[in-house]
Amino acid sequence: MILFPAIDLKNGQCVRLEQGDMARATVFNLDPAAQAKHFAAQGFEYLHVVDLDGAFAGKPVNALAVEGMLKAVTVPVQLGGGIRDLRTVEAWLDKGISRVIIGTAAVRDPELVKSAAKKFPGRVAVGLDARDGKVAVEGWAETSQVTALEIAQRFEDAGVAAIIFTDIARDGLLKGLNLDATIALADRISIPVIASGGLASIEDVKAMLTLRAKKLEGAIAGRALYDGRLDPSAALALIRNARAAA
Amino acid sequence: MTVAIIDYGSGNLHSAAKAFERAARSTQDPERIVVTRDPDAVYRADRIVLPGVGAFADCRRGLDAVDGMVEALTEAVRVKARPFFGICVGMQLMATRGKEHVTTDGFNWVEGDVEKITPRDENLKIPHMGWNTLEVLREHPVLERLDLGPKGRHAYFVHSYHLNAANEPDVLARADYGGPVTAVVGKDTAVGTQFHPEKSQRFGLALISNFLKWKP
Repeated sequence: MILFPAIDLKNGQCVRLEQGDMARATVFNLDPAAQAKHFAAQGFEYLHVVDLDGAFAGKPVNALAVEGMLKAVTVPVQLGGGIRDLRTVEAWLDKGISRVIIGTAAVRDPELVKSAAKKFPGRVAVGLDARDGKVAVEGWAETSQVTALEIAQRFEDAGVAAIIFTDIARDGLLKGLNLDATIALADRISIPVIASGGLASIEDVKAMLTLRAKKLEGAIAGRALYDGRLDPSAALALIRNARAAA
Repeated sequence: MTVAIIDYGSGNLHSAAKAFERAARSTQDPERIVVTRDPDAVYRADRIVLPGVGAFADCRRGLDAVDGMVEALTEAVRVKARPFFGICVGMQLMATRGKEHVTTDGFNWVEGDVEKITPRDENLKIPHMGWNTLEVLREHPVLERLDLGPKGRHAYFVHSYHLNAANEPDVLARADYGGPVTAVVGKDTAVGTQFHPEKSQRFGLALISNFLKWKP
């Protein structure tokens, strides 16, 4: 299991939102590069970065902040938010992003994901955000009647590296990961699934290490890391021990 | 496979349905063409066609008057990623806004406004009615092997307004009528033509069969 620390960017700063609501943003760090360095120094092996303004604008907005982070760390970085065409995918991978996350465009323009994954195998992930299992798009402002599973199934055999499944209802509220829904999705597709939204404490990390969660690739930790509810060294030690035992 | 042609009381349905039926016969896996005003049928269709003649605001009102239709259409195209074909005002409705007499909201699938065409040559009459060649600006599966360009096939136009797209890549082809006129737009799984493929003879049928074969 990989524990991805999340860095969400708004106006060039690191923020956390509640349930994806831009009006409920808390600034945690003014300097994204310093935050990235801090996570890398704590021992995290892969960073998860979201350009929140980009998700709403439909194109990269916090590009400078992202480039600053890439210069600051050597650990791989995955990036989502506002990536809606092949040119943007290419530009980010060129700049050193390890894998891009396509969200809204994966829903509206499945062909983009397929052609990007074909061109850059293993470097394209799909972000599916759901409210009660139904997919939400456009920075989460809209919800549909279509299930996350239906969308995920489009990309079977397309070479997609991972599906990052976020439960919006839990995101930023520290109520625990929605493992049941995430595992149910992972059971129905062969693409690796990453759990996101609501990770609250070491209990979530322990749950991720149980047998039933074994097929999940990892989980994303946001607010819990910033407000101290989750001790990174304890969490990473648990993961290391589980790997050593395996 | 089912192609739903949306019936919301806006003319050209019969000729559109006929053209799609003819084009479908030429495809390997003939699709079933249904003319419907049932939102559920639109939601479940594999492909969706929105015709439209007349004024932008009237068409929008007509579509809104069918309970649940805009919601079903939006979900089918924007979330289920079903291929969509808008014809004439059906294509204009893909824009952010229509500015024909009054300002009316479109679906905002293709950013831009529907504005009056203003030919530089004042001898050119409005509405623009007639046959024009097309200049392809961006390659797209629905425009493949159509023999377009200045010496190519002609498309039949009847309109006074066109979609002035904010983003150049969304315009797949244009015509010239005393200045550029947006002829074909394409964004994600949706395409639209300002001209009438159902009245554009063999070229129109070839375009429709490209759409029927398109697997975005």
